[in-house]
Amino acid sequence: MTATMRTSPLAVAVAGRKPELREVHGMPVPARFPGERDTWKATIGICDVSALVRAGLKGPGAEAWLAARNVPVPAAANSWTHAGGGLVARLARTEFLIEDGCDDVAAARLRAELQAGEPGVYPVIRQDCALALAGAAVNELLVQTCNADFASQSAADSIVTLTQMVGVSVTVLRDDRGTVPCYRVWCDGTMGPYFWETLIGIAEELGGGPVGIASLFADTAT
Amino acid sequence: MTFSTQRPVTAGAPDIGASTTPAPPGRLPVIAGEWIDRTRRLAFTFEGKAFSGFDGDTPSSALWAAGVRILGRSFKYHRPRGLLSMANHDINALMQAGPRLNLRADVEPLEAALNLTAVNTHGGVDVDRARLLGWFGGLLPVGFYYKAFHKPKALFPFWERLFRRITGLGRVEFDAPHVRTPKRYDFADLLVVGAGPAGLMAALTAARAGAKVVLVDENARIGGSLGYQRGGNDDTLARLRALESQLAELPNVSVRTSTLAAGWYADHWVPLVDAKRMTKLRTRAVLVAGGAYEQPAVFRNNDLPGVMLASAAQRLIYRYGVKPMDNAVVLTANADGYVAALDLLAQGIGVPAIVDLRPEGDASDLPTRARQLGIQVLEGHCVFEAEGGNRLAAVVVCPTDADGRPQTSAPQRIACDGLLMSVGWAPAAPLLYQAGTRMGFDTTVQQFVPRELPAGMFAAGRVNGVFALEAKLLDGERAGAEAARFLGFAATSRITDRPTETTSPSHPWPIVEHASGKNFIDFDEDLQLRDFYNAAQEGFDNIELMKRYTTVGMGASQGKHSNMNAIRILARIRGRTPGDIGTTTARPFFHPVPMSHLAGRGFSPHRETPLHSRHEALRAVWMQAGIWLRPEYYAAPDKTRIELVREEAAAVRKAVGLIDVGTLGKMELFGPDAGEFLERVYTARFANLKVGMTRYAVMLDEAGVVIDDGVVARLAPEHFYFTTTTTGAATVYRELQRLNAMWGLRIGIVNATGAFAAMNLAGPGSRAVLAGLTALDLADAAFPYLAVRIGEVAGVTCRLMRVGFVGELGYEIHVPADQAARVWDAIMAADAGVRPFGVEAQRLLRLEKGHIIVGQDTDGLTQPDQAGLTWAVKTDKPFFVGKRSVEIVRKGAVRQRLVGFDLTVAPGGPVPKECHLVIRDGNIAGRVTSIAWSDALQRHIGLAFVEPDLAVDATPFFIRADGGLMVQAKVAPTPFYDPAGARQKLA
Repeated sequence: MTATMRTSPLAVAVAGRKPELREVHGMPVPARFPGERDTWKATIGICDVSALVRAGLKGPGAEAWLAARNVPVPAAANSWTHAGGGLVARLARTEFLIEDGCDDVAAARLRAELQAGEPGVYPVIRQDCALALAGAAVNELLVQTCNADFASQSAADSIVTLTQMVGVSVTVLRDDRGTVPCYRVWCDGTMGPYFWETLIGIAEELGGGPVGIASLFADTAT
Repeated sequence: MTFSTQRPVTAGAPDIGASTTPAPPGRLPVIAGEWIDRTRRLAFTFEGKAFSGFDGDTPSSALWAAGVRILGRSFKYHRPRGLLSMANHDINALMQAGPRLNLRADVEPLEAALNLTAVNTHGGVDVDRARLLGWFGGLLPVGFYYKAFHKPKALFPFWERLFRRITGLGRVEFDAPHVRTPKRYDFADLLVVGAGPAGLMAALTAARAGAKVVLVDENARIGGSLGYQRGGNDDTLARLRALESQLAELPNVSVRTSTLAAGWYADHWVPLVDAKRMTKLRTRAVLVAGGAYEQPAVFRNNDLPGVMLASAAQRLIYRYGVKPMDNAVVLTANADGYVAALDLLAQGIGVPAIVDLRPEGDASDLPTRARQLGIQVLEGHCVFEAEGGNRLAAVVVCPTDADGRPQTSAPQRIACDGLLMSVGWAPAAPLLYQAGTRMGFDTTVQQFVPRELPAGMFAAGRVNGVFALEAKLLDGERAGAEAARFLGFAATSRITDRPTETTSPSHPWPIVEHASGKNFIDFDEDLQLRDFYNAAQEGFDNIELMKRYTTVGMGASQGKHSNMNAIRILARIRGRTPGDIGTTTARPFFHPVPMSHLAGRGFSPHRETPLHSRHEALRAVWMQAGIWLRPEYYAAPDKTRIELVREEAAAVRKAVGLIDVGTLGKMELFGPDAGEFLERVYTARFANLKVGMTRYAVMLDEAGVVIDDGVVARLAPEHFYFTTTTTGAATVYRELQRLNAMWGLRIGIVNATGAFAAMNLAGPGSRAVLAGLTALDLADAAFPYLAVRIGEVAGVTCRLMRVGFVGELGYEIHVPADQAARVWDAIMAADAGVRPFGVEAQRLLRLEKGHIIVGQDTDGLTQPDQAGLTWAVKTDKPFFVGKRSVEIVRKGAVRQRLVGFDLTVAPGGPVPKECHLVIRDGNIAGRVTSIAWSDALQRHIGLAFVEPDLAVDATPFFIRADGGLMVQAKVAPTPFYDPAGARQKLA
């Protein structure tokens, strides 16, 4: 499949806020929103990172297949690890999500290799709505939207949580940006506009709002 | 310790040792530990009159301080009522403040500029005209409602209107502003309910062991009885301050005041309700130290303003600095009543007598101390009746015999403006009951206590039958340590068993009969003692039946002051013990909660396909399909919905149309056993499906009922891609996973519903349009009907299936979601004749082809044979889900069959609609599942379930349309349109 001309599930949802767009991995995403300042660090910032390239795979041979390609494989289900600028999340005993950072190509390469077919290794097409929820007050957003206890987790715990937020099935992990708490959240792209609008509404009530990818990911700031 | 409250802690409140200052009328001098800020006055009105109170007051405390004694009217007889508990249970003092109705005046914080009125009055609380109802009390026996409605039936509407007019609490204002009350979740190791002495010690003990503790109390401040049951000195307040200091040093304790633990749900889910919201707390253990509800004594006129629970008077004094009365008789049956008398004396309030129901009196030195202070102590006496008009003026006291009956031959009349009742307690145990605690009646303390606690549940203090202060502290420590150990923390305590009481804090029969009645058991519902005897006489002598017949405990206080006495009465009637009678069910929420809190923030998830913005731009009119938003049709100026739907359908028949079908469920199936898996899941054969081809698939449940359908495509020997119905995707995916968890086949299933967009390019011109966008060979020989191909369309790699759902040459194009818009745009731009069409046109087109929609043309009982799907069911396969049921059903008679029909409607005549009934000889013989006008066929066509003998071509039958008009139809073969399928198979 081609890897160009990608559209974020949130393209229309964010357009009304007239963000400054930047193309990341072939997908225009908000780099900054008008009037955006660093205040989100003390409150809540929600960022569309759907542009990051992802590869998914499952099957009894998935772990060995990744290991053979020198991909760091988390030892336990529902855990994750950094890989380059991106991450590898073990969603179940035999299911994995690999996501590139802004400048990585590992997931893209793996996705291409998966198309070749391998016994016991099954590609999972990933077309997620991907968000980063960050800021010192982000836990208040989480406790109003989800019944999982994220406050008791630290980034060092490397836990992957599959749960629901505002009625949407999500995958969540904590990946702080420096000293600022940050949660990465993936959901079905077709739920994305509802998910975004709902979370933004609550975040704005709590003093936060949308932030661009340049604010959260230094590697896209230039 | 973190601390949260919905009520600000008063800054600068005087504490122990504070000097006294001149007090306004009705107020006592400044009292150590009081909750009010005397520097901040708040003006408000009640019943149109101006009053003022202090920050920290409640409406009731401020009004009582101002000399107001009638705070409300009773529900049934509209009797004047004052204070009872000052503990969130004063149901006769509910008030309305604008749109805020049923404000609990005994505990709600007073606010500036509140305009309060009493609820349930006619003409105001002082001159309530409905008080006349009290004169007709004899005509309103127990069960009056039921009897009135029972017969004669003709009077039912009269009674209904009357009751609706004269009953009800508060007035709903429909233009009340919307109040946002978002729920939130929280988490803890241990929830401690109640921050009295036992709860505080429990929280301290568990937190010191390392547990994350949430400590909640419904009061504005912590401390419970330590703050107000003082016995005339500040020793208990000093204990409270010491405990608070220790708590403050523990960062793992979150203290939440003005917060009610309103129920218990499985796995220790507990809703915590405060003024602003409901918090759903997930905790690993729950420790209930919620104390006990002080219980009223029952005697004639026990509801007069001025008669109150002893703890209510103590709360007035120590929390609000209010002088409850000038002279009070104390009716007691325990040491607490003597302590209350000492509290009154300490504030200069006269106590002419303590009336002790117990012949032997109290075993402590308290009676001696009371006598030394000049109080007359009358042991073995009762209050026979209270006297007064709108407020208490005197009580009549008399001795009791060996059975506790009043000996009215020697009455003693004592003038007083206050009567304190301290005759017993009932445990605040609803959470324990809800958690499944086995409770038993302990005669030593005359109350129900926990006998066997479920895992993770703990109890301490009064709710556990422990009343003495030191014992409560020890019991809290014990329970806190037990909870900590349950949670995996190391903890010890000075005792390991519940302390035992030597005397009962509750009297077994605090009830005095009176020939003239008005001895109230339930203040919510104005139930008198005789009502219970009458109910039992009428056969309602089981506690659950008695509750429903008398309505005891069904008012807004939920029986907190009436249930225990009701149990005692029933026990005496039946010659049993309260333990034999048992309690009624205490369901969550056990205390009223605002509906807005239950609603919280509304979440209504919906899904949008990746082409949503394209439809918006094309002026789609949206409809919901499950949680999806889909274009029903596309609007255009000066055209009606039906015109546009028909135009869209015509475009598909005559040229080319494009519809977004991305809502279809989409699954990928991999693995060496993938073919075998599909053989088992679907009714048709798939092991023999050739790579590059598709096949229609029907899914049954174990009962042989049609539950889903779709198209299966084989992309590679071990790789299938298949669709499900729009609303069935999640259910089907779960079911497939469940099935393979049993079967253990070597497969992998991926739900790709949201990952792929899909669109159907259909119509005789579709091939030509597509040819301009792809290098794929679209010739029939290379890409025949029912084939699947992978290729680029507009530069995007897609999966294309040649299908015929709408009965024309067509290509279903599946494309990764993030590139869908490009493909849609390219197709729309390729030919100006491409017309987008919506769901309604598609429904018409497929109906012309006789294709069913699962869920519309089938129901929860439809077997494939009934729906004309026999051809898709291969019972010669060894197995598929539902096969056995299908074979069994085939041995019996078919109940109904789905048939096509057409009809001729007279101009202007009624047209049947979906779900209209097929009628034969006046009986229901089936129903219409689909019906529409077909421009292509120039007649109405439809599908209907009919009785089997009607399912013969050209058989006439009748459909009952709107207005009961009968319309004749006749069975017609399907497909209605292009029966040979030549158009979809167009070479």
